[in-house]
Amino acid sequence: MEPGPIPTFQPRLKVLNRRQALAIHTSALEILEKIGIKMEHAECLDMLAGAGGKVFDNDWIRLPAYLAEEAIRSAPRQITLYDQLGNKAMPLVDENPFYGTGSDTTFTLDLETGERRRCVLADTANFAKLVDGLENISFAMSMGNPEDVSKVDYIYVYAFAEMVKNTNKPIVFIADRGQDMAKIHKIACLVAGGEDQLRQKPFLLNYSEAISPLRFPAHVMDRLLFCARKGIPICFPSGSNAGGGAPVTLAGAMAMGIAENLAGLIVHQLAAKGAPFLFGPNVSALDMKSAVVSYGCPEWSLTQAALADMRDEIYGLPIWSFAGASDSKVVDAQAGAEAMFSIITAMLSRCNLIHDNGYIEYGSTSSLEMVTIANELVAMARFFTHGIPVNETTLALDALERVKNAGPQAFFLMDDHTFENFEQALFLPKLLDRSRYDAWEAEGSKDLYIRSNEEAKRILTEHQVTPKDDGVLKEIDNLLNAL
Amino acid sequence: MSYQTLLDAVIKGDIKTAKEETLKAVDAGQNAQDILDQGLIEAMNVVGDNFSKGAIFVPQMLRSAKTMQECVEVLKPHFQENAMTTKGNIVLGTVKGDLHDIGKNLVGMMLEGAGFNIIDLGVDVAPEVFVDKIKEANADVLGMSALLSTTMPSMSLTIKALADSGLRDTVKVIIGGAPVTRKYAEDIGADSYASDAGAAVNETKKLLNIT
Repeated sequence: MEPGPIPTFQPRLKVLNRRQALAIHTSALEILEKIGIKMEHAECLDMLAGAGGKVFDNDWIRLPAYLAEEAIRSAPRQITLYDQLGNKAMPLVDENPFYGTGSDTTFTLDLETGERRRCVLADTANFAKLVDGLENISFAMSMGNPEDVSKVDYIYVYAFAEMVKNTNKPIVFIADRGQDMAKIHKIACLVAGGEDQLRQKPFLLNYSEAISPLRFPAHVMDRLLFCARKGIPICFPSGSNAGGGAPVTLAGAMAMGIAENLAGLIVHQLAAKGAPFLFGPNVSALDMKSAVVSYGCPEWSLTQAALADMRDEIYGLPIWSFAGASDSKVVDAQAGAEAMFSIITAMLSRCNLIHDNGYIEYGSTSSLEMVTIANELVAMARFFTHGIPVNETTLALDALERVKNAGPQAFFLMDDHTFENFEQALFLPKLLDRSRYDAWEAEGSKDLYIRSNEEAKRILTEHQVTPKDDGVLKEIDNLLNAL
Repeated sequence: MSYQTLLDAVIKGDIKTAKEETLKAVDAGQNAQDILDQGLIEAMNVVGDNFSKGAIFVPQMLRSAKTMQECVEVLKPHFQENAMTTKGNIVLGTVKGDLHDIGKNLVGMMLEGAGFNIIDLGVDVAPEVFVDKIKEANADVLGMSALLSTTMPSMSLTIKALADSGLRDTVKVIIGGAPVTRKYAEDIGADSYASDAGAAVNETKKLLNIT
């Protein structure tokens, strides 16, 4: 028998052993069984009670562990998101990581002036278009809560329409309640060519959250039920941040966040068995001086790496996570350091759907420059995570022999092996600067912020988004005008 | 009488010692209002300064506030014919449609530590509920919080409701929360804005001309 190729080990981060994972899971089940949750949605409360939950104090309910175990079993192991043209784009399964932007920030850095100002609808358009033009950013979120939408009740419908018009990549969207979500679903059906087509090839995923600790507001559950019944994939991470909505110790914060997620999953699977649910809470840390929820802290990266381990050991469901964000108020060294920390650890721990790339100021401000930088950092992380293929070509003894035999003037740079392999063998940065000093100076001594600003502007000017059908666009506008 | 041991205990968050010292001062015949003003509130001024300077963390500040609250409970029965005098009544709440309260709770604890009487209405508070409570409590200040930009308009509606009920001139309005800016406060006719709990105390004192 011929020896087979040597498999390539792909660098991998593990932070929990099996016993730790099981202990956190057991603790989450104990929270559901002994402490219970506050379910403020009457239909959901009835559903849970009918399935075996025990109601107390009006709208509190304790949930037996088997409900969680059943829900975990009936939820699909993989969720595939398609792009808006119907192509398979994001198979959320096993170890596939996909990076994208984040939801509604209050402020954005103006691309022309650098000023931090309130977001407007045109910003959501720009972010979507930028995402469309960046190869390593796989999905779009609104990145802004627009100040210039007068119909406040339909802000998220406008933001969704704006994204549809400016990108064909998958969209992770926010809604406020059942009413605006139904409108968003209508737009999505128009894009997909019908409700069945959308169900078959979903290009959207909803982000909804319960409120830690243990509170499930009615309007949030409306959204969960809507998604379950329409087959719209949903993630349901509460903000069980250490020291804020949850215990300050990470194990306890994770257990509570997972309990909340499981409660959501139980309702979701009771409403529509087999509907797609992306697992995972947001477990960041509350900063102990400013009381902000940190987006640059090592804790969040650590808890989501731990969750990836729990996925592998227990849940088997694709997970939700974050990266490429910062607490810095400007796009500076802190922003770069924090963004890279979360981007590389999210990939090394094999998180699946990784949002918030491009946030600064603990998620209050979005930056087109920061998204552009994240795109490059993701490329760097991917290169690292691919590992070192070891085979005859990469060991390159032939090349070595050729260069040795070709005499003292020969060097590897001019050997055919280099020409044929350098693009795969090496990481070739686009935005990160390695030019010689004089060349860098001659180009204007530009730092990464300036270079990323120019690159973002270039993409927004040059990139062409494959346009949607005129008829579809017209129907979307009619829908918006009728709001 | 020196309240140094009491001051130190509150600053440290040593509940047991602080309560003992409070009782000792009462037993020694000290006036309850003096113990409150020169001991507890004075200690919380130091704690507030330390927090603003970044010398201590939120849980340490809150532990001191909790220590103070427990000492106030010890003191309460000893305010005889004159009720306890506070720096003012503050009605506090997260506005209608919004269910987030961590920031608002922090503000409440800090203001209480600074010697104000806090009436916390919780979350999802409708304009008319604010108005009724302000009337009932004869409030000096209304503090409103919102985490979501979609619920910010409730702040404006509450200020309108105050005007409609003729109370707008009797109460100062201060607002805060992640999406709230000073400009927004000005646009909707609030009297002040605070970006964090420490600033809320300073701004409130300014509004009521307290030094």
